[in-house]
Amino acid sequence: MISERLKDRFVDILLVGAMALLILFFYVPIVTLVVFSFTDSRVLTFPIEGFSLEWYGELFRKPDFLPAVANSAIVAAISMVFATVLGSAGAVAWIRYRFRLQNAFRAISFLPLLFPQLLLGVVMLLWFSVLGNWLGFSTGLATVIIGHVVYITPFALVIVAVQVYGFDETLEDAARDAGASGWEVFREITFPLLWPGILSAATFAFLLSWGNFYVSYSLAGTARTLPIFVYSGIAVGSSPIYPALATLNFIPALVLVFLADFLRRRALKRQKLATA
Amino acid sequence: MRTDSKSWRDPVLVATVAPLAIVMLLFFVIPLVMTAVLSFQTTQFYRLSWTWDLKIWTEVFSKPHYWTIMARTVAMALVCVVICVLIAFPAAYALATRLRAYNAQIQILIIFAFLTDAVLKTFGWILVLDKSGVANWLLAHLGLGPEALNLLFTPTGTMIGMVYGLVVYPLFTIYLSLARIDRDLVLAAYDSGASRLRAFFEVTLPLSRPGLYCGAVLVFVLSLGAFLEPKVLGGGTAPLASELIRQSFETRVNWPLGAALTLVLIVIGALSLALSAAVLLRGSRRAAR
Amino acid sequence: MRALHGVSLDIGAGEFVALVGPSGCGKTTLLKILAGFEDQTSGTLEIQGQDMQGVPAAKRPTRMVFQKLALFPHKTVSDNIGFPLKLQKVARAEMDQRISAMLDLMHLKREYLTRYPAQLSGGEQQRVALARALISRPSVLLLDEPMSALDAKLKKSLQAELKKLHRELGTSFVLVTHDLEEAMMLADRICVMRAGEVVQLGTPSDIYYRPANMFVAGFIGETNFLPVSVTRDKDEAKVASPLAGQEAAIIAKDQVSPFLGDTQTALLVRPETIRFVTGAAEPGEWVLSGTVEEYFIKGSSTQYRVRVPGLDKPVVMDLAGSLDLPAKVSDSVRIGFHPARSFLLSE
Repeated sequence: MISERLKDRFVDILLVGAMALLILFFYVPIVTLVVFSFTDSRVLTFPIEGFSLEWYGELFRKPDFLPAVANSAIVAAISMVFATVLGSAGAVAWIRYRFRLQNAFRAISFLPLLFPQLLLGVVMLLWFSVLGNWLGFSTGLATVIIGHVVYITPFALVIVAVQVYGFDETLEDAARDAGASGWEVFREITFPLLWPGILSAATFAFLLSWGNFYVSYSLAGTARTLPIFVYSGIAVGSSPIYPALATLNFIPALVLVFLADFLRRRALKRQKLATA
Repeated sequence: MRTDSKSWRDPVLVATVAPLAIVMLLFFVIPLVMTAVLSFQTTQFYRLSWTWDLKIWTEVFSKPHYWTIMARTVAMALVCVVICVLIAFPAAYALATRLRAYNAQIQILIIFAFLTDAVLKTFGWILVLDKSGVANWLLAHLGLGPEALNLLFTPTGTMIGMVYGLVVYPLFTIYLSLARIDRDLVLAAYDSGASRLRAFFEVTLPLSRPGLYCGAVLVFVLSLGAFLEPKVLGGGTAPLASELIRQSFETRVNWPLGAALTLVLIVIGALSLALSAAVLLRGSRRAAR
Repeated sequence: MRALHGVSLDIGAGEFVALVGPSGCGKTTLLKILAGFEDQTSGTLEIQGQDMQGVPAAKRPTRMVFQKLALFPHKTVSDNIGFPLKLQKVARAEMDQRISAMLDLMHLKREYLTRYPAQLSGGEQQRVALARALISRPSVLLLDEPMSALDAKLKKSLQAELKKLHRELGTSFVLVTHDLEEAMMLADRICVMRAGEVVQLGTPSDIYYRPANMFVAGFIGETNFLPVSVTRDKDEAKVASPLAGQEAAIIAKDQVSPFLGDTQTALLVRPETIRFVTGAAEPGEWVLSGTVEEYFIKGSSTQYRVRVPGLDKPVVMDLAGSLDLPAKVSDSVRIGFHPARSFLLSE
């Protein structure tokens, strides 16, 4: 009996340990970057010898750093809006409606998720180049945004779809019964109840776009977003400014992820009906 | 789940479906078709000439160089799938059964890591795996292994990077399958006299199969396009298909070749998707009977 | 697929009507047609003399209490109850006053107003749902099995309140339920449905004492059907059964179902009208022989199940409870009842 219990404890520890190790694995490079951002040496060897903030200053002195930040912010904000709106509408059509050609619609709105990003970028680059030849434009931030929308919308769609799937439509009936018009039903019931999912989708979309390298790399032309800035930098030679950049980069992401989670959980807590 | 049958004359349907459908058609479906068309063209003096020609395809099929790289890509992808699933399953199982109280926090931790800039994370791995990096320092100080373990710029380095980037997918798909399993089914197995291990293999594992397959196929397909990892962590010593494609576009300016190689990868991915879909469908049909 | 066939039903103003039937009988479909969630493919629906064809749910003088209540989880109790008034753009002051009147009517505490539905108990949620449905003073209140999820005790007290509410408000109530006992307790008239058709429409006592056929009779609770042969004689009917020695019995007119058919005729013998016969039979009494299959002590009564050769199912009888059991399992017994006090019906 005691040995049984011991065995159970052992399995528990093994399983929880697997999760802990995985999280450790996820954070090894991230924590390493943060540590190295405070080094006072130009050479990136571990352990770091002394503490300094000089590389943060160095980073801001780089002439193409701030423009890259601005580009990334513009791309992420616009992509977020489009991906969230298109994904939310698509999620409702996926789950709630039945219509002709629905399977075709499902396929084309989901497949980009199953595409390696580099191939997605390459395929779109080919198209934009051909199109650019005809219409006389070249790739830049606009094509990056289009690429991000294609890549990110399926993620937003899946996140909102989960929320739509758990939606109780009798609530809409109840509102209609209480005298609500179509628009009032949407404003009072449907939208507030889907809001937590839409919020998660928007956060996800912003951060996916902010940190996207592959699609941007293929479609940016001469424009530079933050990940391209880093990539072209480390291709030349590593420098402690990149750990500093990474550390700065975590702050808005951290704030956004926790804020979105806080809002989502507040909304969910109210909504969880006690099961009678 | 109640659903509304809608006709295309309904403006609500058009408003919800059309914008997304148009975006995907214009910038996803048409580009795919374009890629296929391009693979039948040729280049002359670095310029595209519009002819219908099988020259590129004969080149692709006759040069063993391409096929070694394709084979290496598929092999790396398969190894990546196995490692990812082996890592993800116990962790997902722990998340679904032992760590329910901390689910939200753990999910945030994982999502945060997932959403961080891939280039920066890859750079972080350089700092970890470098000869004078964190990993070697740790090994030396723990008195384990030889000093200066050389992982950077090897296929192992590439693999670590690929697993790092993709293990999230099976983690979530397997977790979702496991979380949906009715706990009473497992209790019923115990009640019928099954040991814990037996119950796991008879009930939990078969019921989590959809998530397992979905996760595995996602990892496989997405790892076919790995580019940063072999380049940055593998040091370009063993290039994968994505490097080949990039080179044919950038260095050789041979678009038809790039398009053809892209198509080969897409076809490999599509075949594996179709295969797993067939297996899953057969499984669910059996379960429904 | 048609869910309803030739249903015709008139509901008087202020009446309490219950729609009863097994699941899939079309009662919920009928309710949804009344509410305006589904359109009838043919036929007409009038409420207060107005044709409802094409009138959306929001514009009908009906309000519904949903099976799972459908309280808005993201709105407070106050916002839930006041929702119909908000849509009618009723002024804030009047709205508050009507909400608080509803609160009193439903015996809900004032501090609940700022809470969310999830923070209330099942019974309280029920009252909030009723309050939301009644606040806009509908002329018809539709109730879709609203009490099916509650435990027995809570159900009883809410049923009593519902009946009181109906008497006080003068609103027509239409209740869908699969529980005939609930329907008999609450409704003025009961509409028993099967496979999209109305089988019988009548007062609770009609339904109980004069069921149209075996389906309605069987729906009320455990009962016995004794197959008999029938010869009609003007108003009366003469019945006989080989199991009771072919002795003919006369059934008076008001003990015969108006829907009596020619085949599958049977006597409805209620369990409480059967006794064990130890001595001689009473005059006019039919006596059957059988063996006791099982008995249940139910407190105030004792139920016996007696297997009678020639009958598919055991005969069920309810005796007044007593300390000494009249028979044990597998005893051979004789049981008797008066056919003249039974009800004659058909399948």
